[in-house]
Amino acid sequence: MTDQLGALTTIFTEFYYWVTVVLMFLIHVGFCMYEVGASRYKHHQHTLMKNTMLIPLVTVTWFLFGWWIYWAFPTGPGIAPSIMTESTGLVLGGGFGGNDLANPTNALMAVNLNDHIMGVFWAAFLLFSWTAASIVSGAIIERITTFAFGVLAIAIGSVFWSIDASWGWHFDGWMLKILGYHDAYASGVIHAIAGGFALGVLMVLGPRIGKFSSSGEPRNIGPRNPWLVTIGLFLIYTGFWGFYAACNVPIYDLGPEYGMEGVTFWTATNIYLTPTTLSGITMNFLMSLSGGLLAGYVIAKGDPFWTYSSGLAGIICASAGNDLYHPIQALIIGMIGVVISYKLHYWVERKFKIDDAVGAVAVHGYAGFIGLVICGFVLNGYPSSGYSVGAMFDGTTYATINPLGQFIGAIIMFLVLGLIPGYIIARVLNGMGKLRIPREVEIAGLDYEMMEAAKDDEKAVSSATR
Amino acid sequence: MATVSNWIDHLNKPAEEVAGSVYPGAGSSEFILVILLIAVWIGWSVITDKSEREELERLSRKRHGANDHKSNITDW
Repeated sequence: MTDQLGALTTIFTEFYYWVTVVLMFLIHVGFCMYEVGASRYKHHQHTLMKNTMLIPLVTVTWFLFGWWIYWAFPTGPGIAPSIMTESTGLVLGGGFGGNDLANPTNALMAVNLNDHIMGVFWAAFLLFSWTAASIVSGAIIERITTFAFGVLAIAIGSVFWSIDASWGWHFDGWMLKILGYHDAYASGVIHAIAGGFALGVLMVLGPRIGKFSSSGEPRNIGPRNPWLVTIGLFLIYTGFWGFYAACNVPIYDLGPEYGMEGVTFWTATNIYLTPTTLSGITMNFLMSLSGGLLAGYVIAKGDPFWTYSSGLAGIICASAGNDLYHPIQALIIGMIGVVISYKLHYWVERKFKIDDAVGAVAVHGYAGFIGLVICGFVLNGYPSSGYSVGAMFDGTTYATINPLGQFIGAIIMFLVLGLIPGYIIARVLNGMGKLRIPREVEIAGLDYEMMEAAKDDEKAVSSATR
Repeated sequence: MATVSNWIDHLNKPAEEVAGSVYPGAGSSEFILVILLIAVWIGWSVITDKSEREELERLSRKRHGANDHKSNITDW
């Protein structure tokens, strides 16, 4: 950096992402509080440790290969040519846009005085990875082994979400070109895939003991600490706000980027490098949150657990198009998503005996899926990218946003990269006897021995002070 | 309803001349959206008032004592 204005732009961008990463850490704090609040006392500490340990597991694997996958796979490979290499092969090499910077053996993956962005961008994406894994974590509490969860967390956090981001969240992604896929704040890219993955795992894992009566009627195992759940969800909202900012590029000149000679247009952009404003998406974030809360309060008859979750579901449902929606559109879309997700949750629970302990499949999976489909109708005809506009299935240009493309995209996110891999990995773990804790331990509580030991410790301390 | 169909065409002019409103239905749908929002607000208030009143009436008919809630706490 040799001129002051250029340096300011770069260092502002670096600091911007750094702030979003710190804000997004609150998502994980919130998930930890929320899960512990939703679990029964006898499982509290194991529930907390399970969700905590995904941090190092996903971080290490994200450093090794998760980040590399994101930069290497936008072409499929073999589906649509890259606009940078004009090849359908893996995108290897070439700095930003290629995956040189994401190679863990490369000296660029460290402090580098010529690059102020890669590290904070890596971290922002890593926080998205934790979120994907944490969404799965909540659904399966109180009966999964920590080992199995670790394997599943790595699979969703460092492999499958990274593939879907490369396909549908990269400016060069094949889903934009072939389908006109648009998912600005990750209705599908994080939420639908993680919800689908959780559902696949739940199908194999089975319900908690006592969740269903002998006649198959579901019983409610409500949250044991409503306050922890409340604060947890409020922190998730806060972190989600940071996530929205992290999905933007804060300052960018689109004139040269789009090859327009002599045109300068400085703006914030979304992840696809199409223009939006931090101001506008803040309005949409709050309006979709409000829509979710309003609808959740009515549909759940004032139940706090579902009302707070519905606020989140409202944002998730509107997220796909929140870079372009009018705020009132965002609110109404959030409301629609909440009503359908809530109804689907109980229908699936009764019909298929699926025990989703925190409603994660509904709040993230169904709401994300519905949000993608609605986005296809509301943003029908908008360009999916700034680089070019072309026909669907052409592949060499970018298709416009359309209902069919969004629906196929939703299927890819929820089913192809979410539910099916989750189901298969859970089946393998189950076949190895590694998936579920023994029945006796589940009944007594995962924390039973810890609590016994704590009691003995207290007795020893107490007797020593007599 | 799309306001923008090609970003290059949309931005290919001096920044101060670029139309800023890019949401679906810009310039034609704002009034309808505001009416919708008012309907949602009033409808929501009416629905929640009615359901809250019904719930409070049902609870008051049960005539619970001041200490009854203490036997309600889930402890495992």
